Amino acid sequence: MSTDVMSTTLRPRLAPRRPRTWLRLEHVVMGGAIISLIVLVVLPLAFLLIGSFKGADGVTLDAYSEVLTGRLYVNALKNSLLLGAYSGLFSLLIGLPLAWAVARTDVPAKPLFQITATLSYLSPPFLTAIALTYLFSPNAGLSNVLMRDVLGMPWLTFNIFTMPGLVLVTVMHTFPFVYLLASSALQSVDASYEEAAQILGASKLRTAFLITAPLVAPAVLSGTLLAFVNAIALFGSQAIIGLPGRIVTLPTRIYALFDYPPEYALASALSLVFILITVAALYLQNAFLKRRSYVTLAGKGSRPQMMQLGVFRWVLLACVTIVFFVSIVLPYATLIAVSFSKSWGLEFWKNITLANYKFVLFEYNVTQRAILNSLVLAFVAATLAVLMGAVIGWIDLRTKLPGRKLLDYASLIPLGLPGIVMAVALIQFWLAMPLALYGTLTILLLAYVGRYIPLGVRAANASLRQVDHSLEESAQILGASWTTTMREITLPLIRPGLFAGWLLVFVPVIQELSASILLFSSQSITLAVAVYNLYETGYIEPVAALAMINMLIIGAAIWLAYRLGGRSLTSRNDAAPVHT
Amino acid sequence: MAGISIRGLSKSFSSRDSDVAAVADVDIEVKDNSFVTLLGPSGCGKTTTLRLIAGYITPDRGTIEIDGRPLSSPGSVVPPERRGMGMVFQNYAIWPHKNVFENVVFGLKIRKLPSASARRKVEEALALVNLSGLETRYPSELSGGQQQRVALARSLVVEPDILLLDEPLSNLDAKLRERMRLELKELQLRTGITFVYVTHDQAEALALSDQIAVMNLGRVQQYGTPFEVYAHPANRMVADFMGLVNLVPGKVRERSGAGGVVEIAPELTVKVDALDAFAPGETVEVAIRPESIRLAASPVPGGTWATISNHVFLGNISEYFATLASGLTLRVQTHPLQQLKVGEACTIEVDATHCSVFRAGAGEAKAA
Ligand SMILES: Nc1ncnc2c1ncn2[C@@H]1O[C@H](COP(=O)(O)OP(=O)(O)OP(=O)(O)O)[C@@H](O)[C@H]1O
Ligand SMILES: [Mg+2]
Repeated sequence: MSTDVMSTTLRPRLAPRRPRTWLRLEHVVMGGAIISLIVLVVLPLAFLLIGSFKGADGVTLDAYSEVLTGRLYVNALKNSLLLGAYSGLFSLLIGLPLAWAVARTDVPAKPLFQITATLSYLSPPFLTAIALTYLFSPNAGLSNVLMRDVLGMPWLTFNIFTMPGLVLVTVMHTFPFVYLLASSALQSVDASYEEAAQILGASKLRTAFLITAPLVAPAVLSGTLLAFVNAIALFGSQAIIGLPGRIVTLPTRIYALFDYPPEYALASALSLVFILITVAALYLQNAFLKRRSYVTLAGKGSRPQMMQLGVFRWVLLACVTIVFFVSIVLPYATLIAVSFSKSWGLEFWKNITLANYKFVLFEYNVTQRAILNSLVLAFVAATLAVLMGAVIGWIDLRTKLPGRKLLDYASLIPLGLPGIVMAVALIQFWLAMPLALYGTLTILLLAYVGRYIPLGVRAANASLRQVDHSLEESAQILGASWTTTMREITLPLIRPGLFAGWLLVFVPVIQELSASILLFSSQSITLAVAVYNLYETGYIEPVAALAMINMLIIGAAIWLAYRLGGRSLTSRNDAAPVHT
Repeated sequence: MAGISIRGLSKSFSSRDSDVAAVADVDIEVKDNSFVTLLGPSGCGKTTTLRLIAGYITPDRGTIEIDGRPLSSPGSVVPPERRGMGMVFQNYAIWPHKNVFENVVFGLKIRKLPSASARRKVEEALALVNLSGLETRYPSELSGGQQQRVALARSLVVEPDILLLDEPLSNLDAKLRERMRLELKELQLRTGITFVYVTHDQAEALALSDQIAVMNLGRVQQYGTPFEVYAHPANRMVADFMGLVNLVPGKVRERSGAGGVVEIAPELTVKVDALDAFAPGETVEVAIRPESIRLAASPVPGGTWATISNHVFLGNISEYFATLASGLTLRVQTHPLQQLKVGEACTIEVDATHCSVFRAGAGEAKAA
């Protein structure tokens, strides 16, 4: 290299160029993330705890004794557990056979299985619940009217406002948890394990029971527990189906405690009981999932042999078709039909109209604001959750900061917080603060970011792990500062993973109801709340139109996001939308 | 350019139940413009030493100075980005999202070089490593050897005073490794950059280095020229590590002047030049290189009878295992054209000037 003139500019700067600055950008960013996490999660939880001990005169255990013995609360607890248990059980009964069929048999139309699971997962359960009330509400439900009054077969009527009805609606949303975890486990079981058993003389069925089942059992159980946790947290379906049938559950009970005058202590105590159940289930789930690790150890083995099912494959296909029909076609066909009819009833097709859409879009003055609010909130919340996740993941993996493990754990706390509990905690915290946030878009944003931070952290963690530390170190030795290394190396490399995480947050946030229902005001109303409110007010047909608009917006947003970042997403297989 | 002096350098890592002394009391003086190799078995602390020099880790004890300027001590460490060094990582660490040009120009951009002269420098650097014309390729479109040269060009283009290389050739096939070895040595001579090179391959170390630091268990066992560490190993670990060696127990029979006679089998004694440290009757260990033993099919005066018990033909050399009547088996390397059969009787003769004697049981310097 002959350019000597240049060489002077390239001389190394052995000594520090400037005096050590005590505050550098990296410290500001790290500090910011830590403080945000404390404000978003830790402090509200602390206020929830404190609130549960508050009585008229000082510290008391009254709230707990009421919550643990009062008939109303014990009932809610019982119903929630019952709902969770049934939902878990049926999720298992539906999800596992479907996963097994796809991974291990010659069943036809495998994409249909995948599509059914994905759409069922993405479809907001409160919309399914509303749709099914149009068909199965005991008196006016279309299907019930048809069976009873026209066909004269009253034994074919079905009352949706019952525990079986609630379980039906819930399972449609929760069976994908079992399906997704079971299929990924089944795919990672190296076929050589099974072949080894077969060569030793075990039949296919014996092999399935003796070798495959124990290997995938932890993942399947963990999926079932996730189904349980998600099932009991869903406010929308439990309010829409449960309340008319007098089936009060924990979320709806807590919601009722906010009727004037709000019973903060009781709501807090009940919330903590709720957290306890969720955390216990998640703890078990995690324990099961850990046992799973040896499955993934097996390398890329040969393709598993597909079991020849014979006639039975058509039975399985029929099953998945029924699931697809009940969880996707039936609800959405109904919503579409209702949304276009002047008055919902047996002869609805005789008077098709666009009036409902016109009403909700242009006359009902809430809709436009709600759409805008929901889009903005989902966009900002997803971005913040992922950015915070990136910083927290980075601190955990790349620094020696004392207490970084604690930070990592703290960022996972919200997994154990059902949406409505998050709302109760935030309300108490911010009511105690001198800032008037209650009823603003900001408090909704705080709820969403806090609740979905674990997804951001998980996405960032997974993608940071794939970036070898030496890629950053080699930028450093070439003289790059922290900021430059981040901008030039780290962020570009983890962008695809962060984008996947962004979508995972965006999708649930844009349909969030459980926390929003306690936090919204007429100004900060979101789309899901608007649908729920309209339903509560009793507008039958316009609700369906608004629900369809809601669905279209969710669909368009997902489609757009996939289009924008699709290439990077399809090349990753860890984007499976499992969340809690 | 720059010399490095490392004094009393120590670094421990605490794992779950114990502290691992990854580097212990390392003293190394690296002269300006020289090629120094850290050589040792896996886990001996080579990478840790290199990363201490680069400033990625803070030493527990000791100092690192460059041209008299302290860079690392337990209290303060100049961060890597202000050391002006270059480093080639074991896995190359080529950024997968940047093409060859963008990878190489990175350091120049950091130094805010005008883009025209940066472009010229990148072209020069790529020409230096024979990569001209591949500027727009992405790492996934390069072979392992080409990636390695991108890593090299990336660290050379900023004209560092010191270049640290962590087993840069370990992922290459034998042929390419041979060629890159020559290119590296030539490059070092041409640029005058001080190279600190890490490897566990003794042949590579011998071929490249001005000085070799043989490490084991975090400590430097010997620091010297390739010839010194090969011919006069400081202890049996070094002898053992620098290529195949027969390590046989023996007893000092007599002393005369500085040297003496060591008996390694009832029928085999060797005359050794340096026996200062040992008294007659003392049990010792003798390191005999396989190429220091001669085999003859016919009786040789002063030779010892043995039987060929095994034979491995390696192409450029022939390896025999000769078993003495007392049962001792020695590995012998001969010219490939010398042909003996398994079971055949022969005589062996040991070239005593290339034997090293160590106190029996006395191992290498151990980590505290
Ligand atoms: N970050 C770390 N944490 C804990 N222990 C470490 C760490 N880095 C290195 N060690 C330990 O220090 C010792 C020396 O490691 P080092 O990486 O320096 O070895 P090495 O000589 O480079 O080996 P190799 O040839 O296998 O690369 C090893 O026992 C290793 O397990
Ligand atoms: Mg190493």
